[in-house]
Amino acid sequence: MIDVVGFLVSWLTLLGIYSILALTLNFESGVSGVTNFGKVLFYGVGAYTAAALTVYLVLILNGFDVTKTPPYSVEGIVALGQLAGQNPALNLALFALSLVLAFLAAGLLGYLLSYPILRVGPAFVGFTLLSSGELMRIFLQHFEPVGASKGLMSIPGPFAWVPEPRARELAFLGVVLALLALTYVVLDRLVNSPLGRTLRAVREDEVAALCLGKHVPRLKATVLFIGSGFTGVAGALLAYYLTAVNPGMFVPAVTFNVWAMIILGGMGNLRGSLVGAALLTLFDRLLTFLTPQLGITVISPDYVRWFSVGLLIVALLLLRPQGLLPEEPVRTPALEELEVALRGGGSG
Amino acid sequence: MLPGYPYSIVNFLHYLFFYLLFSLPLTLSYRNTKVINFAHSNFITYGMYTAVFLHGLLGNTSLLAAAAAAFLVGGSMALLNNIAVFRPLERRGASPSMIMIASMGLWIMYNYLLYMLADVAHFFSRKNFVSYSKIAYSDVPELSIAGFTLSQSFVASMLAALGLVAALYLFLEKTRLGRAMRAVSDNPVLAEVSGIPRDTIVNLTWLIAGGVAAVGGAVWTCFSGTITPQSGDAMILQVFTVSFIGGLVSLLRTGLGALAISFIENVGIAALNTYLGVPTSFRPFLTFATLLTILIASPPLGAAGGLPYRFRRRRG
Amino acid sequence: MASILEVNSVSKRFGGVVALEEVTLSVPERGIVGLIGPNGSGKTTLFNVVTGFHVPDKGEVWFRNQGGMERIDGLNPNEVFAKGIVRTFQVPRLFKNLTVLENLLVTPWNQLGERPLAALRRGWEREERELARRAIELLRRFDLLPYANTRVSELSAAHIKLVETVRGLMTPARLYLLDEPAAGVEAGVAHRLFSLVRELREREGLTFFIVEHRIEILTRYVDYLYVLHNGKLLAEGKPEEVISDPRVVEAYIGGG
Ligand SMILES: Nc1ncnc2c1ncn2[C@@H]1O[C@H](COP(=O)(O)OP(=O)(O)OP(=O)(O)O)[C@@H](O)[C@H]1O
Ligand SMILES: [Mg+2]
Repeated sequence: MIDVVGFLVSWLTLLGIYSILALTLNFESGVSGVTNFGKVLFYGVGAYTAAALTVYLVLILNGFDVTKTPPYSVEGIVALGQLAGQNPALNLALFALSLVLAFLAAGLLGYLLSYPILRVGPAFVGFTLLSSGELMRIFLQHFEPVGASKGLMSIPGPFAWVPEPRARELAFLGVVLALLALTYVVLDRLVNSPLGRTLRAVREDEVAALCLGKHVPRLKATVLFIGSGFTGVAGALLAYYLTAVNPGMFVPAVTFNVWAMIILGGMGNLRGSLVGAALLTLFDRLLTFLTPQLGITVISPDYVRWFSVGLLIVALLLLRPQGLLPEEPVRTPALEELEVALRGGGSG
Repeated sequence: MLPGYPYSIVNFLHYLFFYLLFSLPLTLSYRNTKVINFAHSNFITYGMYTAVFLHGLLGNTSLLAAAAAAFLVGGSMALLNNIAVFRPLERRGASPSMIMIASMGLWIMYNYLLYMLADVAHFFSRKNFVSYSKIAYSDVPELSIAGFTLSQSFVASMLAALGLVAALYLFLEKTRLGRAMRAVSDNPVLAEVSGIPRDTIVNLTWLIAGGVAAVGGAVWTCFSGTITPQSGDAMILQVFTVSFIGGLVSLLRTGLGALAISFIENVGIAALNTYLGVPTSFRPFLTFATLLTILIASPPLGAAGGLPYRFRRRRG
Repeated sequence: MASILEVNSVSKRFGGVVALEEVTLSVPERGIVGLIGPNGSGKTTLFNVVTGFHVPDKGEVWFRNQGGMERIDGLNPNEVFAKGIVRTFQVPRLFKNLTVLENLLVTPWNQLGERPLAALRRGWEREERELARRAIELLRRFDLLPYANTRVSELSAAHIKLVETVRGLMTPARLYLLDEPAAGVEAGVAHRLFSLVRELREREGLTFFIVEHRIEILTRYVDYLYVLHNGKLLAEGKPEEVISDPRVVEAYIGGG
């Protein structure tokens, strides 16, 4: 018997998280031309900020000595499991605090990293961010306070005190969707404003934008702050959803997955990103569901999956570079004025 | 006396040779084609695996044969990329960023295609190709100089790297085709240089770039302890940083970059380890710090579509 | 009349090529000044130096602001723009995937809605509407209104050139540097363009410095003319005098 509701809830939760990633990447790369190949860096920073903050504070506030029972030790993990459902107010407060800090940590990192890469071309930007992501992973693998390669486990979620699992999942899904809506509204407003127009201009021709007085480096730094901040929030949500983080979750492939989503959906079109994220996460789910049935044993289905992501990117760029939903003109009141002028021009 | 002597020095030279083999083709390909190719590390990895498959499936023990095959494999991959992806995109007027993103897509494809090939090869031969150990070749000598033994891979990479540098120099300076190639990189809009169409030159560039990087990969198989489908990617930070030091256009400065990065990663880390106790696993961070320092202190202005300005008062 | 722009013995070389050598000239406030010269004589390079695109090897560029003259060479292009100098490009650099209207609306400096918080909170709509009306007015003038919602990449070359110039006129700057605005544009449209230049000067007191190869059109509108030849200033003066100057005739006939 297939558990349809269970499938929907878990798919929608992951979809929500991925949609935030896709929206922000589209804002950074599709709209503003900052080729961010290091999405996973900010995602990981957000996740680890939330995870570390929560496990440490839960232990400390409950009177544990984290130098003796660190959260990554067996005793720590057991203790976290027992404490998880005891104090709803604490859980919710930590959750809120984590989201804010994840936003700030990832956003500030994006802002800082923008400094060395503002003056150089997209190749350098893409590459620097890509390697930053990899270095973060190497660092986390060796950094004992966050559990090194094992990572952190048993992270108390905001609704860990809800006894009924389905209700807990639904509540979390609600939060994810609310944050997704917030991200969408913020980015949609930014994109459909004079700022969004200027960012598109920067994407098209940096030098011309500069000669029209636009402070290109500052604009890009702003974009990276906002985009990375929301990416950090997505990371925090992931940490709570899986109740665990480890360095293996933040491989470059995650970044490329999100790239495939925005190229499929249409670069520069925010709604497209939602569509792209939906299609690709669905594809993932179906693949995990179907491969056992097919009985292919020679080749690992994971490889097929990732190969298809690469193929999808290349094929789309060749055959349908505008994606499913092409970019639309910036929606501002200027369009209404134009409408009026065109109609008036027709009659007069 | 330098810390870690003499191994740090030997390793320094050893890596220098490899970085020359890996990065010079990257610089060459960018400056002639203006395509930033993230799939460059695939050429290296596929070069390695050409040697690995030849050894594991056919029992080949000649490095020369492996390198020749690797050249063909890497060169044809690069040509195929250009003909099937880069050139159509360019024709359509896609921006350099879009072409770069396409190369990233190719990178992922090749990467997992290799995993699949390793799985299939495993199915037939029952050998583990996802982690393959160092290959001993029969046609490369070990050299002894003044009581000092230079390993097979040292000799091979030295010959390959020096051969590459000499061949590139002779080709670019002394032949008509080479001079046409330089003219193309100086003026990318020229459709035809001294009777040779630009397309021909671009294709030739890809063939050389892919081929040489793959030869470097083949040589790597007698050096590295284990070879995995990630081996090429593991070096992407170093390879790109070296080329970035050359601003992606200057072959001479790419050579200096190889020198600098190899020095920092071997002698530099040995010194830090000895005097400050920095663990050697810190190596990539040192390379990355070098990359950031270069981007801040002397950014390759205007290179690869960047702004030609520093955003400082430029008057003294 | 007081000058708004002064170029003092500016030199600029690219490798072996001397693009500008000891060029000294000035543009009076509310003037319409032309700059002509054979191909490769350094006209565009001079614009590039003035707008911060290039740093001169030697010499200075001064621009008038409220207080007095201020040195602007070596500033970044965006800073020069902020001082009130707008330039257009000889080879248009429009934003290809943006519509014509969007291209125009990008130009004005320091729009309220360009600030992230303001863009979020809204409140910039009024300014946006005003700018839009100005843009529509300009487009209408040059029969470009039907193309307002067309992506630039779909326009003809002549329209692209025209939009490049019109985009420059979107913002109220004090000095406009127009690089060959009439190149490839129909004669009638070119005259309309220059009439608008005249009108803007009369009505809003703006200053224009214009590079143009179509001398027969240019001379009817400018009040002063400079001639560059091989990077050096060859002649200057009233248009009629300059174009009958034997040295100028010689330079044009002799070629570059
Ligand atoms: N960025 C550059 N790098 C190298 N050389 C340049 C550069 N810009 C201009 N030059 C050279 O400087 C000289 C003057 O060029 P410039 O573009 O200023 O001439 P121009 O008067 O605008 O010519 P045209 O009428 O053809 O537009 C030319 O020889 C040109 O090749
Ligand atoms: Mg010119």
